[in-house]
Amino acid sequence: MRLLDPPPSFRRASSGNWRRARTGTIAVLAAASLVLAACGADADDSAGSGDGKTLKLWHYEGATSAMGVAWAEAIKQFEASHPGVKVQFEEKGFEQIRQNAGMILNSDEAPDIMEYNKGNATAGLLSKQGLLTDLSEEAGKRGWDKIGPSLQTTSKYDAEGIMGDGKWYGVPNYAEYVMVYYNKELFTKHNVQVPTTLAEFEAAMDTFTKAGVTPLSVGGAEYPAQQILYELALSKASRSFVDSFQLYKGKVDFKGPEFTYAATTFADWVAKGYIAKNSAGIKAEDMGVAFTQGKFPMVISGSWWYGRFVSDAKFQWGTFLFPGNTLHPGSGGNIWVVPKNAKNKSLAYDFIDITMKPEIQNLLGNSGGVPVLADPATITDAKSKELIDNFDKVTSTDGLAFYPDWPAPGYYDVLVAGTQHLINGTKSPDAVLDEIAKPYNDNLTSLGK
Amino acid sequence: MNRALRPAVLATLTVLVLLVLSPFALVAVNAVKSPDEYATDGPLSLPNGLYLKGLADFWIRVDFGEKLFNSFVIAFSVAVLAVVVSVLNAYALGIGRVRGRSAFLVFFLLANLLPQEALVYPLYYLSKEVGLYNTQLAVVVIFTAIQSAFGTYLLSSVFATFPREMLEAAAIDGAGKVRTLWRVVVPISWPSLSVLFTFFFIWTWNEFFLPLIFLISNDKQTVPVALGVLQGDRMMDATTTSASALLGILPAILFFLIFQRTLSRGVMSGAIK
Repeated sequence: MRLLDPPPSFRRASSGNWRRARTGTIAVLAAASLVLAACGADADDSAGSGDGKTLKLWHYEGATSAMGVAWAEAIKQFEASHPGVKVQFEEKGFEQIRQNAGMILNSDEAPDIMEYNKGNATAGLLSKQGLLTDLSEEAGKRGWDKIGPSLQTTSKYDAEGIMGDGKWYGVPNYAEYVMVYYNKELFTKHNVQVPTTLAEFEAAMDTFTKAGVTPLSVGGAEYPAQQILYELALSKASRSFVDSFQLYKGKVDFKGPEFTYAATTFADWVAKGYIAKNSAGIKAEDMGVAFTQGKFPMVISGSWWYGRFVSDAKFQWGTFLFPGNTLHPGSGGNIWVVPKNAKNKSLAYDFIDITMKPEIQNLLGNSGGVPVLADPATITDAKSKELIDNFDKVTSTDGLAFYPDWPAPGYYDVLVAGTQHLINGTKSPDAVLDEIAKPYNDNLTSLGK
Repeated sequence: MNRALRPAVLATLTVLVLLVLSPFALVAVNAVKSPDEYATDGPLSLPNGLYLKGLADFWIRVDFGEKLFNSFVIAFSVAVLAVVVSVLNAYALGIGRVRGRSAFLVFFLLANLLPQEALVYPLYYLSKEVGLYNTQLAVVVIFTAIQSAFGTYLLSSVFATFPREMLEAAAIDGAGKVRTLWRVVVPISWPSLSVLFTFFFIWTWNEFFLPLIFLISNDKQTVPVALGVLQGDRMMDATTTSASALLGILPAILFFLIFQRTLSRGVMSGAIK
């Protein structure tokens, strides 16, 4: 047991007892039980004693990402405005939080504040299990509810853990949305203008294919392909379609105009060579690298790539919203949650409040993120300005339509398989629609809707 | 061997070795590449120069020295304890021939076949109950049990073929059960035990899932768990990930080189003497 890198309290508790332990077996047993007790006590201590002196904070954003930069500054400001309080920050792995959140939050090891994934299967589930603190009162009092309505969707969960309505369980600091990134040098070389309608977009892609260039870099093995499919469905959709599909407020007809158009157009784009046949096996990472290598003129993906392209792409590039759409895949980003077992909740509320302050929000914006409460006038970085201006266009029409894999557990894999069939041509659009309709409707039945 | 066949076999083996080594080469190449180079030339290009900042950054970011120490402490404790437990169990089952020993062996085999995912919740509640959640002791106890289940199964069959004459000779010389174990059985089966020790050490070192669940605080985590910190929700940093992978496999390669003579002696050695 001495091999176990004894914690300080263990060393204190045991050193005296070990000496006496030589005198007899009973003393040895007593010492052993003390050791166990000390280990146990240590587990309790490290969770923070609720003395208002430490804020145990976990998040899983890289230190150089927009969020990492903004939150590091927020920690500094928090410590400045709370003298005597120490922020105990630990950078966590996404996988660890994904696997463990329920177990950690149900124990004494829970942090005071934590970044967590938004959505029914994550934050919704934990709120339903009673592991998160209701933030409704704080949100109203401190003005966190000033963020846009579609951003609030992922903050509020009802008694069943379904997002959209109910109590506040999380606060997003940033947002994300899907757009088209384009290589300006390739556009100039092939004499292509930035398209503003879907027809122009298809004409532009035609120009590239005629010149022997595949226009879209697509990662068919992961999320990117399904987001293109969803963009196409949204081009024919209204807000009520999104409410039905994502929030179960009505019936979704997978053979209706939206999805029929999406699947047939997607298959058409493959047939015309806009999407390469081999992209069914491409991962998102390789899709992005192929774009930074200048092999493809365009990639349709989310704002999470922005910072990466700013630092990695060695050519002139820009972005535009998916032409013709008013609805775009996107949502509030990951949220701050305060676990039910948090020891210093009021400090956690103060910290969230600091991250929502204009300085931190603007810093997030200037570092390549999409802030939720920034003042666009103070965004000085030219590249960031383009990103945030486009986001303002999306939110001004309440145009965030979330992601296609959200409505049902395990739906991500269903959509990956479906789009792979479309890319490989192994199933007709009609058959693919049947394939993706079934798990969706099964989930509705299990929810009793 | 047939002279004509020789070049063909050699060529096939060379290709196989290259295939096995290619992932390591890819990791090594990308670990010393700068992010800029990766973005412009892709993962398959050779680096222009040696870029060690990724390795250094990762080491500092996760405090890798601390993780190495944690992993070493856990793997070493488990290896020692599991071998001791395995020997004691196998002595009773293989040599002592206690009643119902095949039932015991089937039980240990089943314990081995259980996926760790099935054990997670019971172990989580138990460890929380006794105050061992988020302690390295919990991981040591759990892996001692898991590894010694395999060790018991294996050593029991080794001990079952232990020469009876040897045991009878020891008994005639007046050795009791305990003395026979430590003075006769353990020295003779030492090669098997050291192989088991090596296996337990490497297996425990490479464990990811249970340490991920039980070691919550960063300062208690092991090397494989620390590597997981780099995998984001949607983003990965390929060069730093390669750097971390390189740092992660180096110790395993090192152990293999140190222990390879023990390993090549084979698990079953010492069974027949």
